[in-house]
Amino acid sequence: MTASRTRWTVLALWLLALGALAAYVFGTLRIGTDLRSFMPPPSTPDQKLLMEQIGEGPGSRLLLLAIDGAPEATLAELSRGLAAALADEPAFEQVINGAFDPSSLDPDWLPYRWLLSPTLDHQPLDAAYLSDQLQQRVADLASPAADLLKPLLPRDPTLETLVLAERWSPPKAPALRDGVWFSSDGAALLLAQTRGAGFDPAVQGAAIDALRAAFATLPGASDARLTLSGPGWFSVLINEKTRAEADRIGLVSTIGFVLLLLLAYRSIASLLLAGLPVISGGLAGAAALALGFGSAHGITLAFGFTLLGVAQEYPIRVLSHRRAGEDALASVRALWPLLATAIVSAAIAYLAFFASGVTGLQQLAVFTIAGLLGAGLTTRYLLPRVLPARFRDVADTPGLAAAARFIDRVPRPRWLPWLLLVLGLVVLWRVPGPMWQDDLSALTPVPRDLLLQDAKLRGELGAPDVRYLLVLRADSADGVLALSESLEPRLAGLVASGALDAVELPSRYLPSLATQRARQVKLPSRADLERALAEAGANLPFRGGLFEPFLDDVDAARTLEQLTPAAFAKTPLGARLDAMLVRETDGDAWLGLATLSGVHDAAALEAFTAQTNGAARLLDLKGASESLVVDYRGRILKALGVALGLLALTVVVALRSARRAWHVLAPMSLATLLVLVVERAAGIPLSLFHLVALTLAAGLGLHYALFFERPVADEAEGRRTLHATLVCVLSALLVFGLQALSSMPVLRAIGLTVALGVGFHFCLSILMARSARPDPSA
Amino acid sequence: MRWSSLLERPLVLRGELEYLGPGKLGKRVDAPYREQLNVADGQAKVQRGEGAVRSFSLGQAPELEGFLRGFAALLSGDAAALERDFTLDASGDDAAWRLVLKPRDRRLALRIRAIEVEGADGAARCFRTRQADGDLAVLLVESLAEAKIPNRPSAPQIDALCRGDAAK
Repeated sequence: MTASRTRWTVLALWLLALGALAAYVFGTLRIGTDLRSFMPPPSTPDQKLLMEQIGEGPGSRLLLLAIDGAPEATLAELSRGLAAALADEPAFEQVINGAFDPSSLDPDWLPYRWLLSPTLDHQPLDAAYLSDQLQQRVADLASPAADLLKPLLPRDPTLETLVLAERWSPPKAPALRDGVWFSSDGAALLLAQTRGAGFDPAVQGAAIDALRAAFATLPGASDARLTLSGPGWFSVLINEKTRAEADRIGLVSTIGFVLLLLLAYRSIASLLLAGLPVISGGLAGAAALALGFGSAHGITLAFGFTLLGVAQEYPIRVLSHRRAGEDALASVRALWPLLATAIVSAAIAYLAFFASGVTGLQQLAVFTIAGLLGAGLTTRYLLPRVLPARFRDVADTPGLAAAARFIDRVPRPRWLPWLLLVLGLVVLWRVPGPMWQDDLSALTPVPRDLLLQDAKLRGELGAPDVRYLLVLRADSADGVLALSESLEPRLAGLVASGALDAVELPSRYLPSLATQRARQVKLPSRADLERALAEAGANLPFRGGLFEPFLDDVDAARTLEQLTPAAFAKTPLGARLDAMLVRETDGDAWLGLATLSGVHDAAALEAFTAQTNGAARLLDLKGASESLVVDYRGRILKALGVALGLLALTVVVALRSARRAWHVLAPMSLATLLVLVVERAAGIPLSLFHLVALTLAAGLGLHYALFFERPVADEAEGRRTLHATLVCVLSALLVFGLQALSSMPVLRAIGLTVALGVGFHFCLSILMARSARPDPSA
Repeated sequence: MRWSSLLERPLVLRGELEYLGPGKLGKRVDAPYREQLNVADGQAKVQRGEGAVRSFSLGQAPELEGFLRGFAALLSGDAAALERDFTLDASGDDAAWRLVLKPRDRRLALRIRAIEVEGADGAARCFRTRQADGDLAVLLVESLAEAKIPNRPSAPQIDALCRGDAAK
């Protein structure tokens, strides 16, 4: 009775401690989804720009929207309604739908049109020009455009505001119907720029939820269909899809896992209790992250939980190795030296990750080491105290003896591992195709029909390219604008020659101070303008004094303070320019980010930027982010190399025998190599996810080899070792084999690698580690 | 002819109007400047003089859209279409009739108060588009197209023309 009461007390305290730890973790640990917190520190200027200034580029923060399924008038109303609703939404920087309403212009800004519009650069405000313009206006008044222009005419008879509106609308805008953009197949089109990074599913998810909510409240929205596209939407979609599939596979494999353990141990209590050490490990790891970093990247956590899969072995070993009549504590004590060797060697190996200097990898190391120690220590000190006293010795499992005899009889030619090694190296050396997959998005591919839809919308909207960005560099913000102006003609030439469809330069929104000053000087005095206007309108039917507001505006424009980017920021288009002008974080230089649409000939653009002496540069965002991944991979490989060395050293020290250590390490290394060989021979390029999966498999393989290599006293103990290993192998094959069948490449990468690894490690451990048993010297 | 609050005297244009079937219209201005407007499939194309062709959708030009709808329905005698788009008010007799069309479409009504058509026997000869802001456009067709119009026509003179006084 007292034993039973002690058991329940320990269990209650354990659960209580786990609950407290969980409350702490959920309360403090922030989970980031921004890829930047996962990547190594940037080293090249391109990488710096990518990470610090632009997230993933203005193009990637753009959501393309299409509304269809209702009459045109309703669609236009919805487009206007959505743009108005999102104007106040903090998640969005800007939403445009092509609408231009002259009455919406702030009257205070109107005189600035003379400083902003390029008209004065080539056209003085003289009688000849005004005469031509006024005659045009007469014709306009008799034309269908009269309604739109009438309110504008007295103040702006040269329609300078329309010149500006045209200049500021996207370079390749879609057709306007009912005042807003429409696609060729009759859908209303909008562009929405989010503030958050495009590849951050959490931020994008929140923005899209806000967008959908705003749309749903509009009158008539229930009949219409809102279609989204763009990188932000894709990252949300893929995230949801991956999670849903992982959950589905997780459910199936959990059921399989539970059945397997029930079959192996015939005890529900054991099954439930066996889960506790892994949960303890996971919480310990997360708590260590919360304590040490405060936050962790989602990918780091996913990697960490994958690597923690090793810990599921600990309780299985305890359950399988307990012999009949033996106290659980005594059984664990007998096992502990070996388990401790496995745990400590793995923990020491992961220290290498900590030294990598990459925050994401350091977090991974902290999580995994704390997790392994947590799971190991609870397995050693808590689990035996809560296991039921009654249990079944697994050595008597039917069929196990036959399996053990079969495995003992398997021929073990000494040359086989060497042959496998040579063959494997040859395959690795000769196999064609790229060794590495550095495009992380290739692992989470967007369905083809969505890509086609995106390309179509992008084409219709003339939306900027996601991949390329033109970066201008100067000493000041105004310097960037002046540089942008000077490049304008040559870029226009590139557009004309078909190298790209369009370019959006910062100077399109705001000319440099010098240009504004030059335009001001060209404005005529009030008296001169009055004379010119009188001459121009002599034979035209306009009412006398009609253009008084025009004279006032020009007069005011002559003495205006030129617009600086800071002053321009207060205008409706300020946010647009703000996103294009950024200050370098380390240094005083300013950068201008010009978006490009429809880049057909990147080489021509490269050649053009090469002539600017570094003032302009073509930034390939895909290239920059891939170079980051290459960097990251290099660091992981280096860390893994050091980890392997540390691991070997620890095993040698623990076993106090280089020969025994060789029996453990050789099958593990060869199996890892064989996984690489199979995946390479199948034409699979390797990614970071493969590397992490390989590491997990190696951790599992270390266990198999350690336990198989262990000299055992009798055949029953040998059968128990085999039982434990079989349960571990089967459960790993079940869980990761199911993942290998997934349609999501990222899950397939992890699943396939671990499943293959477990298979190879098991076979090679039997082949190489068990060769000396039963060891008569033990 | 067009009276506008911005102009001190009405604008008088001469040219040719061609109805080319449902939804299609050609309008040419010959004097005092040259302009060609073509409407088809809800799209309008305008070319002024030898300048570039500009195009826009009818949705952006409610005045033109309303006029075209009424004009097309009248010419093709499609009473149902006329009834669908406008509220009708007819008066007069065969020799001098008058039809007032008021747009039913809310958006159109914001711009156009009414289109008044006057004619005799089977032919319309005078279209008056009264805009919501008080501006007025008068289109004289058929027999009146060649009528002599003073340099600075006054509203009563045009009213008389439309009533057919000149023909008598």
